[in-house]
Amino acid sequence: MDLRTYVMRRLILMAFVLFGIVVITFFVSHVIPADPIGAILGPQASPELVEKIRREWGFDKPVHEQFIDYLIKLSKGDLGKSIRTNKPVMEDLLYFFPATIELATSAMVVAVAIGIPLGIVSAIKKDRWPDHVSRIFALMGVSMPVFWLGLILLFVLYYKLGLFPGPGRLDPGVPEPPRVTGLLLLDSLLAGNFEALSNALWHLALPSFVLGYYASASITRITRAALLEVLNQDFIKAARSKGLTERVVLFRHALRNALIPTTTVIGMTYGSLLEGAVLTETIFAWPGLGRYSTGAFLSVDFLAVMGATLLIALIYSLANLIVDILYAFLDPRIRYA
Amino acid sequence: MTARDLALPLILLIVGLAIGYFIAPPGKGVTTTVTTTVTVTGAPPAVTPTVTTTPAPEMRTPADTLIIAMDTSDAVSLDPARAYEFTSCFVTNQLYDKLVDFELPDLINVKPEVAERWEYSPDGLVWTFYIRKGIKFASGNPLTADDVVYSLQRVIKLKQTAYSVIEPFLKSPEQIEKVDDYTVRIRLNKTVAPSFFLSVLTFTTSSIVDSKVVEAHAKNGDMGSEWLTDHSAGSGPFVLERWDRESQFVLRANPNYWKTGQPILKTVIIKHVPEPTDQLLLIQKGDADVVIDLTADQVKQVEKQPGVKVVRVERFQNRYIGMNVAVKPLDKEEVRDAIRYCIDYDSIVNDILKGAAIKWQTVVPKGLLGANPKTPYYRNVTLAKQLLAKAGYPDGFEIELTTAPTYPAIDIATKIQADLAECGIRVKINQMTASMMYEKYRKQGLQLVLAQWGSDYPDPDSNAMAFANYRIRQLAWRNSWYDDYAADLAEKASAEMDLKRREEMYLTLTDYILDHGPYAMLYQEVAQQVIRDYVKNWLPDPTFFVLDLSKVSKVVGS
Repeated sequence: MDLRTYVMRRLILMAFVLFGIVVITFFVSHVIPADPIGAILGPQASPELVEKIRREWGFDKPVHEQFIDYLIKLSKGDLGKSIRTNKPVMEDLLYFFPATIELATSAMVVAVAIGIPLGIVSAIKKDRWPDHVSRIFALMGVSMPVFWLGLILLFVLYYKLGLFPGPGRLDPGVPEPPRVTGLLLLDSLLAGNFEALSNALWHLALPSFVLGYYASASITRITRAALLEVLNQDFIKAARSKGLTERVVLFRHALRNALIPTTTVIGMTYGSLLEGAVLTETIFAWPGLGRYSTGAFLSVDFLAVMGATLLIALIYSLANLIVDILYAFLDPRIRYA
Repeated sequence: MTARDLALPLILLIVGLAIGYFIAPPGKGVTTTVTTTVTVTGAPPAVTPTVTTTPAPEMRTPADTLIIAMDTSDAVSLDPARAYEFTSCFVTNQLYDKLVDFELPDLINVKPEVAERWEYSPDGLVWTFYIRKGIKFASGNPLTADDVVYSLQRVIKLKQTAYSVIEPFLKSPEQIEKVDDYTVRIRLNKTVAPSFFLSVLTFTTSSIVDSKVVEAHAKNGDMGSEWLTDHSAGSGPFVLERWDRESQFVLRANPNYWKTGQPILKTVIIKHVPEPTDQLLLIQKGDADVVIDLTADQVKQVEKQPGVKVVRVERFQNRYIGMNVAVKPLDKEEVRDAIRYCIDYDSIVNDILKGAAIKWQTVVPKGLLGANPKTPYYRNVTLAKQLLAKAGYPDGFEIELTTAPTYPAIDIATKIQADLAECGIRVKINQMTASMMYEKYRKQGLQLVLAQWGSDYPDPDSNAMAFANYRIRQLAWRNSWYDDYAADLAEKASAEMDLKRREEMYLTLTDYILDHGPYAMLYQEVAQQVIRDYVKNWLPDPTFFVLDLSKVSKVVGS
C-alpha cells in the first residue's frame, strides 16, 4: 500500500471516530440532569423566564430532534452558539485555541529539550549516578502536581526573586499587538513589536516549563529504554568493531533508531498537553482552551463542551496520523498496514 | 565528555537546593535537598507563602491605572439588558448612568443621576422623570428622553436575563413614554413602594444606552445586543476599550464625562485571575492594586503586611438551609425548630468562615431597610431533642441534605451533618453541581438544601418576596411553604407608600418567618477585599455594583 492510500484510509477511519465522539458527547451532555439555562440565569430567575429562554435555545425539543439539528449544522461547519458567551462556538474556539497552542508547543519544546538529552545520558551512564539523578528528576516531574509546582515557581521566581513575571500572557502596561493569528509571539513579530515579543516570551517561560517538565518524564524514560535496547543490538557492535568513535555510533546509528518510540510518545504527549493544560492555565491565568472548556463544562454549556471535545479529538487523531507517517521517514522498514 | 556529563546533574542539584531553600519553613535550616522534594507525591500540600516583613514598597503599577485582579468567570455579557452577574454588573456600572443611583455608603436613599428630579402620583402608579440637560454620551451625542425610553423599552422587548428585575411592574414597552425631549413618564402596572421602584432603577438593568450608537449596530432585530456584549455605549465615567474573555477588561476614562469632567484614573484593568493564591501573590508583590477573592486564611495572612489594607463589608448575600415542608417530617414546626436548635451557628461563622461572615438569622440582610437583627437560635441539643420527642420523633429520622460541591458549602454541610447527628437526625449529604441542584430545587425536588440567596438591588423586597411569597415561585415555593399570611404581608410591604410603615411591615414579616418559615438562616457573608494602601476611595460596597470607580485614585502617602 502506498502512502496516499494509507493516509486516505486513516482519514476515513478518523471520520468515524470523530462521529462516534459527537454521538457520545451529545447524548452524555443531554442526558445528565442539569439545566444550562438555569445555570446561566442563576437561582433568582422565575420559572417562566427559564422556560422562555429554554424555548429560544431549542432545548424544549426532544433530544433526537436536537441531535439531528446539531448534525445538520455540524455538516455546514457550524458548531452552534455558546450559551455562556452568546457567540458561535467556532469563533470562541478560534479565539481561545491559539493561546493553548502557544503554551503546549513551547511546553513540548521544553519537554523534548529536557527529555531527550536526559534519556541519552541515562542510557549511556546506565545504573551510574547520572542515571539515578535523571530518574529522580523524571520522577519528580510526574509526581509533582502541576498546580503545586506552578505555585511554588510563581512564589519563588516571581514573588521572592522577581526574576519572572506573574500570571498572565503580558504585563498590563505592555500594548498588545493587533490580533492576526492569536499566537502572541507570532503576532508581535508580525507587528514588529519587540517589547511585546520579549514580554510574551518571558510570560511563557514558567508555564511552559511547568507543563513541559511534567511531559518530559515519559520522554526521558522512553528514550532511555529505547536507546538501551538499540545499544545491545548486533549492528551497534558491528559499528563499534569497525572502529567508529562512540559519538558516531551513538548519534548516527543508535539514536536514529531509538527515536522511533520517542516520536510516538511525543505525538501522544502533544495531544495530551493541549487538553491537559487546564490546571496550568488556571494557575498562570492563561486564557486558553482549557479554561474555556472548564468554564463551559461548569455552566453546562453543551455546545461549547462538544465543540471543544471535537477539536481536541481531531488534534489527537491528526497527531497520531502524523506520528505514523513520521515513522516511515525514521525507519524505512516500517510498512503502512 | 565527563565535564558535560557532570554539568546537567550539577545544575539540577543547584536548582533543587534553591527550591528547597525557598520552600523550607523558616527555622528548619537549609538541610532540604533534592531528595526531600521528591517525596512530594499524592495529596499536594497547600501552598501558603509566608509573609516576610518587607518595607512598604513604592507603587509598582502606573499611578493613573487601577489594576484589579479577580475571578471574572461569571461574566456573560456587558449588555445592560443581559448583565446579571457580579462581574458584569460591576463593569457595566462603570460604563453607564442610570436615572437614579445610590451613593455609598447610603443604600437607603437614592440620589439623582440622569434624572435631576422626579415626581409620582399619590397611588404610586405614574412616575415622571425630568432629565438633566447637557449630559453627553461618550460618543458626543446628547442624552435625551429618547435614549431613556429606548433603553428601558429595550429591556422589556429583549426579555433577557436581567429583565426579571423589572418584570413585576413593567411588562409592556408602552408603559414608558416620552413627554418631551427631557421628560419621561413611566406607568407601573401595579403600585410599588417608591423606595422599592427607585431602588430597582439603580440596578444596571436600567442603564441608559446611547440609542443612536446602539441602533447603528443592531443586527436581525437584536437591538444591538450582540454588539453590546463586549462594547459600550454609555455616559458613565469609563468606556470599554476591550474585553478579552478569560483574560481582562480594559476600561478607559470617558473624556466627555459630565459629572466631573473626567474620572481621576485614566485606565482600569480588571484581570481575570481565577486562582486566589495568584491573587495573593499579585497584591503582595504590588502588581495588582485590588484583589477580591482571597480566602479567609489568606486575608488573615496578608493583613499583617505593610502596604496593604483590608476592606470589609457585609454583603447582601445569605446562606441558609431550606427545609421542604412537603417532605415528612419537615412539615412539623417542632421538627424545623429542632433543626434550627441543633446547628452550631457560631462555629460555622468563626471556624469555617473565619471572619468572612456574621451570624444573621432573618431573611432581610443587614444594611437594608427593615433588617431585623434578632438571632434567637443557638445550639441547644437538649431543647432540640425535646422538640423532636414532642413531634413524635424521639429517635430522630433520616434526611437528605443537598449542596453544591464548592468551598465553603461542603464544609458547612459536613458540620451540619455532625451537628444534627447529635440530635439524632441522620443526614445524608448529596452533592451536585449548582446547575443540577437548582434544576431540582426549582421543581421542589429537594429535602434539605444548603443554598445562597443574594439581593438583586438594595431593597428588602428582593429577599422578602423570595423567602415569603410562594406565589412568585421562588424560595418559599421551592420549599413548598404555602403561607398566605407571609405572602400577603410581603406583597403589601412592597406596595406600601410610607417608608416608616414599610419598615415596620418587614420587621413583622421577618419575625414571622423566623418562627414559622422553612429556613435556618446561617449567616450573612462579609466581603473582604484587599487593596494596596495608596488606593483611595475604594469604598466598601455590599452589592459590588454601586461602587463608582470615577472617584477612585492612587496616591502614595497622605
